[in-house]
Amino acid sequence: MKKNCALLSSIGQKLLIATSGLVMFILFLIPHMGGNILFLFGPDIFNSYAMHLHQMMPVVIGLRVLMLASITIHMAMTIKMSISNVQARGTRLSQKPSKERSLAARLMPLSGGMIFLFIVKHLLDFTISPPAVQMIEIDGYMAKDVYGMVYTQFQDPVQVIIYLLFMVAVGFHLSHALQSAVQTFGWYVPRKHSKIKLISMWVAIGMASTFAIIPVSALIYFHY
Amino acid sequence: MSDTINISLKVWRQNQGEEGHFEVYQAKDIDTSASFLEMLDVVNEQLTLNGKEPIAFEDDCREGICGACGVLVNGTTHGSHEKTTLCQLHMRKFKNNEQIVIEPFRAHPFTVIKDLVVDRSGLDAIITEGGYVSVKTGNAPEASTTPIKKELAEAAMDAAECIGCGACVAACPNGSAMLFTAAKVSQYALLPQGHPERKQRVEGMVGKMDELGFGSCSNEYECAVACPKGIDVQNIARLNREFIKASFM
Repeated sequence: MKKNCALLSSIGQKLLIATSGLVMFILFLIPHMGGNILFLFGPDIFNSYAMHLHQMMPVVIGLRVLMLASITIHMAMTIKMSISNVQARGTRLSQKPSKERSLAARLMPLSGGMIFLFIVKHLLDFTISPPAVQMIEIDGYMAKDVYGMVYTQFQDPVQVIIYLLFMVAVGFHLSHALQSAVQTFGWYVPRKHSKIKLISMWVAIGMASTFAIIPVSALIYFHY
Repeated sequence: MSDTINISLKVWRQNQGEEGHFEVYQAKDIDTSASFLEMLDVVNEQLTLNGKEPIAFEDDCREGICGACGVLVNGTTHGSHEKTTLCQLHMRKFKNNEQIVIEPFRAHPFTVIKDLVVDRSGLDAIITEGGYVSVKTGNAPEASTTPIKKELAEAAMDAAECIGCGACVAACPNGSAMLFTAAKVSQYALLPQGHPERKQRVEGMVGKMDELGFGSCSNEYECAVACPKGIDVQNIARLNREFIKASFM
């Protein structure tokens, strides 16, 4: 089988979905989470982090292109595969899922769709059309008060609830996605008592909770 | 001493190319030690006596080793999730006056031939693409000439337990034949006799699986839960490895 044919086979498509998902997880989600944690250390550190990130614009743009490519492959392949899967399933009337089929696995299309909507909203909120931002001075440079912008956004409880809802979707998606990617790459993930499944679940819970820190802490704890 | 029960059967009736529908039949005084297929035999006898067409279903060995039988009973393949084929399911598992819903295995490549009989020839077509080892004919070679580790031999035997009933396809939310194909690829990939053709085998079998319209694996493991022979998803991981090695390395 030629390599391009192999990539478009059912296993090849799964490999593309798993690889693009892992690229987003490792190169975007983890560093983004690390940056978000700095919000807890106050405006000086968070704004300094934001300024330094903007000073590395070529790297940021490179990552943005990579993310765009990954998300395009991830979604295009998933939609293609899901349509084929619905056709392959046929009409089912009395059939019931077993107890072993996890909620996260069943909700993958929903959580994935929610994450896409969230990315669009998140980019609109803070990147494409951010609210007017104050300029402040950091180490002799004029920089945006990103801390203030984020803080102001999350003074609205409705926004906080929307973000938390999306974080639940991220948690659900990751808990199935990580273990599924491992199995797709050919490492055995057992049905029961699987450490990989357990790690996958706790990484998902940990990441979703950490991402939830900014909106919740901005709303209830920190006073700007 | 066995008891008898009365049950109500809601059975899928369909002729090839026509729309199907459920029909309800009453089965009285069914011996609880009868197998599910024997119960259907009793119902069919009654239907025939009443001048009605008997319910079509597939069966052969009735010992749980041939893979011919298999329908959805109350929404689950083979009516059980405990490594049991339909022929080995007994009526003692059901309650008196219970309604049992019986449907054929559902998947796009499994078209209904009649009632509960579906066309599973797609699985055979996958086998023809590499589910064998090409050997020169003649006397069987001396068994000890090819030493094989016990663990490998056991894993290959476990994979070879697959009877090709199609429950994995019917249970999979995507109508995927990955567990079946994985078992067939694994039983040869694990043994030295299968190695010369391993690349063509995995590419051919996966290619045929896709061509016939079986779905993709989303690692939800419904196939392994449904498998009456306990084929494990370890075989799917192995199939993925075999495919990656054959196609990209």
